[in-house]
Amino acid sequence: MKPVDFELHRPATTDEAIALLAEHAAEAKVLAGGQSLLPLLNFRLARPDHLIDLGRIAGLAQLRRTQDELVVGAMVRQAQAERSPAVAAHAPLLAAAFPNIAHPPIRNRGTVGGSLAHADPAAELPAVARALDAVFVAAGPRGRREITSRDFFRANLMTDLEADELLVEIRFSRAAPHTGADFQEVGRRRGDFALVGAAAQVTVDDGLLSDVRICLTGVAQTPHRAVEAEDLLTGHAPDPALLARAADAIRDTIDPSGDLHATAGYRRDVAGVLMTRAVTGAHRRATETAAEAA
Amino acid sequence: MTEPTEQDAAPRPETPYRWVSKPGRIREDRRFVTGQGRYVADITPPGTLHVGLVTSPYAHARITGVDASEALALDGVVAVLTGAELAKDTDPLRQYLAVPEVQWRPLAAEETRYAGEWVAAVVAESRAVAEDGAERVFVDYETLPAVLDPEVAAQPGAPLVHPDHGTNVMAHREFRWGDVDGDLAQAAGTSRVRSRWNRNSTVPLETFGVVAAWDRGRDLLDVWASIQMPQFPEQLAHALRIPTNQVRVHFDVDVGGSYGVKRGIKHGVLAGYLSRMLDAPVKLIEDRAENMHGGDFHGPDRIFDVELAYTAEGIFTSIRIDVIDDEGAYPGRSPLQLAKPIGAIVGPYRIPSAAYNATAVVTNKTGQVAVRGFGQAPTNYAIEAAVDAVARDLGIDRVELRRRNFIQPEEFPYRIPSGTEYDSGDYPAVLDKAIALADLAALEARRDELRAEGRLAGIGVATCLEPGGGNAIFENIMNPANDKTTFPEACRLRVDGDGEITAIISISSAGQSHDTMVSTLVGEELGRDPETIAVIRADSLTGMPSQSPVGSRMTIVLGQAIRGAADELKAKVRAIAAHNLGATPEEVGYEGGDVVVRSDPARRLGWRDIVAIAHRKQHLMPPRTQPGLEVVHVAHTPRSGGLAQPDGTVQLYPCYSFEAHVVLAVIDPGTGAIDLDRYYIAHDCGTVINPDVVRGMVYGGTAHGIGVALYEQFAYSPEGQPLTQSFMDYLLPSAHEVPQIADTEHCTPSPFTSLGQKGAGEAGYMGAPAAVAGAVNDALTAQGAAPIHALPIKPSDVWSALRAAGNEERGGK
Ligand SMILES: Cc1cc2nc3c(=O)[nH]c(=O)nc-3n(C[C@H](O)[C@H](O)[C@H](O)COP(=O)(O)OP(=O)(O)OC[C@H]3O[C@@H](n4cnc5c(N)ncnc54)[C@H](O)[C@@H]3O)c2cc1C
Repeated sequence: MKPVDFELHRPATTDEAIALLAEHAAEAKVLAGGQSLLPLLNFRLARPDHLIDLGRIAGLAQLRRTQDELVVGAMVRQAQAERSPAVAAHAPLLAAAFPNIAHPPIRNRGTVGGSLAHADPAAELPAVARALDAVFVAAGPRGRREITSRDFFRANLMTDLEADELLVEIRFSRAAPHTGADFQEVGRRRGDFALVGAAAQVTVDDGLLSDVRICLTGVAQTPHRAVEAEDLLTGHAPDPALLARAADAIRDTIDPSGDLHATAGYRRDVAGVLMTRAVTGAHRRATETAAEAA
Repeated sequence: MTEPTEQDAAPRPETPYRWVSKPGRIREDRRFVTGQGRYVADITPPGTLHVGLVTSPYAHARITGVDASEALALDGVVAVLTGAELAKDTDPLRQYLAVPEVQWRPLAAEETRYAGEWVAAVVAESRAVAEDGAERVFVDYETLPAVLDPEVAAQPGAPLVHPDHGTNVMAHREFRWGDVDGDLAQAAGTSRVRSRWNRNSTVPLETFGVVAAWDRGRDLLDVWASIQMPQFPEQLAHALRIPTNQVRVHFDVDVGGSYGVKRGIKHGVLAGYLSRMLDAPVKLIEDRAENMHGGDFHGPDRIFDVELAYTAEGIFTSIRIDVIDDEGAYPGRSPLQLAKPIGAIVGPYRIPSAAYNATAVVTNKTGQVAVRGFGQAPTNYAIEAAVDAVARDLGIDRVELRRRNFIQPEEFPYRIPSGTEYDSGDYPAVLDKAIALADLAALEARRDELRAEGRLAGIGVATCLEPGGGNAIFENIMNPANDKTTFPEACRLRVDGDGEITAIISISSAGQSHDTMVSTLVGEELGRDPETIAVIRADSLTGMPSQSPVGSRMTIVLGQAIRGAADELKAKVRAIAAHNLGATPEEVGYEGGDVVVRSDPARRLGWRDIVAIAHRKQHLMPPRTQPGLEVVHVAHTPRSGGLAQPDGTVQLYPCYSFEAHVVLAVIDPGTGAIDLDRYYIAHDCGTVINPDVVRGMVYGGTAHGIGVALYEQFAYSPEGQPLTQSFMDYLLPSAHEVPQIADTEHCTPSPFTSLGQKGAGEAGYMGAPAAVAGAVNDALTAQGAAPIHALPIKPSDVWSALRAAGNEERGGK
């Protein structure tokens, strides 16, 4: 469990990092918090000749607010975002996701961008980004480009990023007032990658659900946006019968696989259970914020 | 994770002891907590070379060629050794069954028999370069049919793991004790449970490691290893074909976790061979993946069929246990784990007859080794599952059913049908303590409240034995050619010229706090403050016979050796003093080191004066007395010595500890996720030497048992690929999964040990798997679902059981 010999680069700016990437693209790997990459290196599943550590690029570790957006730098640590009042206020689903990721020491090192770039379909943040239609900003030798969350996640551990591109920031639209979110998942142990999970964010408008966003983890190659369920629920109160129909709509559309830890049937069924709980929780919180605001 | 129980605050019962059973410092904790432990990885003699391993990607394949030229061309690679080369100069590793066709070698020579088996070793200047080299050794394989399912493996026509042996069945023994047929005929009914204890192990933080250094000038192989294994030095020497007195295994190495699995014989032989071949120290430290799939350290992997017969009143009349154990590719010592449970085959219950049919089969998986309890924990689980089934079938409360069938306190020593006598116990009292600690009525109310809230909840109860004081008579049961009847332990006591006492033992420890145990016992026996007693570990050439800390035996057997050594030492001290006091040895008494004339206490000689005479004053010594104060005592295991009868009856272990578990599990009906809410244990290991050490064992063993019940499994794909190669998939319970455990102790001393002590090294683990499974099954059966009888129980298993019973939650909660 020793990595293959590599050269470590520690650029101080994004431009330097991009130049290094351009030079070594095919043989290089970008290092963020290392919580996924270091095990891959030690198992020799990743075998880069060059490792480009983004840890010294201060510009990538910023969290800022614009008029309409919350902008999270790729190197913002998960723990830092978890504690951020701005994240809680403007992207409640993102805030709800963090406590489900691994354990505190891992979130201290792990970054938001690293988790998204890693694109594990069982991970929480990709589902959040997909639910919230986050915009991914990539930078490379050919300049910057924006990628929608629909396009960003290509397959299991595969994104739209080119080998010489860096994820620099992720933009989230600021949540409307009276918005609530919930993240529900089940794992074999606390802190494990979930067997299946459901992210939900809803806005409450006159007691009815609007802007319903639901995304599932662990049921497909990429985070699964549950549009059928969203459509069923939008414009209605989340009563049990409707939620049951939405859950069945999910069960009818997903095709998860089974493994050592859970069967496919389990994942399919429990996805519906967790979606129901997540939407119920999100609705309750949205109603609470609405009540607080009133 | 743990909370002090009320019992802790209560005044402790008066004991006749000065230090034993009293709270006392755990001597080794300071060194471990401050990072001052010295493990094998910390030992790197100058010029050390490092080993990397080439492993088989196939479950079963013939090796048709090995090309090491690219590896050898790599800068820093010193040598590559193939299995065929090693086989030329070494003997196969020891088999305990009579299976001469099974050739177990550190490196596979002609065939590989499981994915992950070592095929070649690369020696380099660093471990990283050794790994680079290992990637550049190209092995040609011809794949062969593999067999993974133990029941399939036992059938005629299955692919053979060792074709020369002619069958995959390595051992099959059928035992019947008592009037099985008569007792069955009289029974009102029987309950049957088929249960599956899947492959798991004690998975230590520290993987196995060894450093071997051959000293050509002295003809001596020095070995430092993360070892817990009887006869390690001898087996190393035999495989290497060198005299046993040329192997020196150092025991003053801390072992970072073991509970049976730190055997590493193939690692030791390989490192020793390479050191001799290269004339340099060689270090082999497994990485986690090597440990998990090629370390030959997995534990029992069993399918049980248990039939428990009972009268209409719920009195057990007979038990039949059929078990098939999947040993993996090389049986080694592991099939013997089928024999140890014979000594507790009826659990704590009065069952007049028993049948036991045990089968050991090989498959294309990594090998098994001894694991905590040597087969007892799986057997306890199977028995307790059957007891719970009887309770369900008869509609009798599980606690009440156990009470009706317990061996009663006045019946000890109690001979069970398989020939072993249980030494002592008070099972009803211990169960009462567990019930009181748990406040069972309140716990049941809580369970029922949770159920009313729409959750699934269940209480598990298990009452299990821990045989202690292990000897090796199970070798004789499984293979009559093994007529070993003693399994000794030794202690040397040395009083130096200043009167300071050193106790010398020849074992390494893996977290059992032997320094504390030995110093406490020596202090108690000699009446000297344990804090002042040094504990030192001799190596295998300068030390005494020892079998290592297996079979929950050290406090019992080493305790016996300490008693013997202390008695001899005291006799000599008394003889010297009596001579100088003008009295006979019979007329004087030993009082904490001083010697007093009993009839005239004013006439006395102090410890320092006696020591001075013994070491420096020949003119004051009694005639024909050796100078110095140095004794060695080697003790047999209590109650050992007999060979097994042809029907398998024998006194297996001398001591029987007992534990009662009560646990509340709460299950999410939508996801099947299991949460252990409350955990209570009452435990009896006779006289406790150090209360904190025992409590640590109980907590740790329970956590281990929770792991077995809900999380841990070494799994394989149908093709034989290991699916659990890291801690991402082999799930150990963490502080999140292990609930608060409340523990209370009871003391029924053993009449057969120096101070009444019994074993505690397997405490908690003996009953936790059964208790946790029982709790889940209480929740499931209350819901009309079938109980689950395969461990570990996963959320998706619970979900499947609920679905099969028509319970579906489509949302909610
Ligand atoms: C024990 C354990 C449990 C875990 N449990 C969970 C869990 O429950 N849920 C979960 O979501 N995660 C879990 N993780 C993973 C953790 O969240 C990681 O932090 C995360 O997946 C990767 O983030 P990182 O910053 O550590 O990235 P790294 O490991 O450094 O990188 C991951 C990958 O992303 C690439 N990358 C990183 N940053 C960029 C960038 N800016 N541009 C382009 N490519 C980039 C790297 O090259 C690499 O391929 C767990 C990890 C551990 C060790």
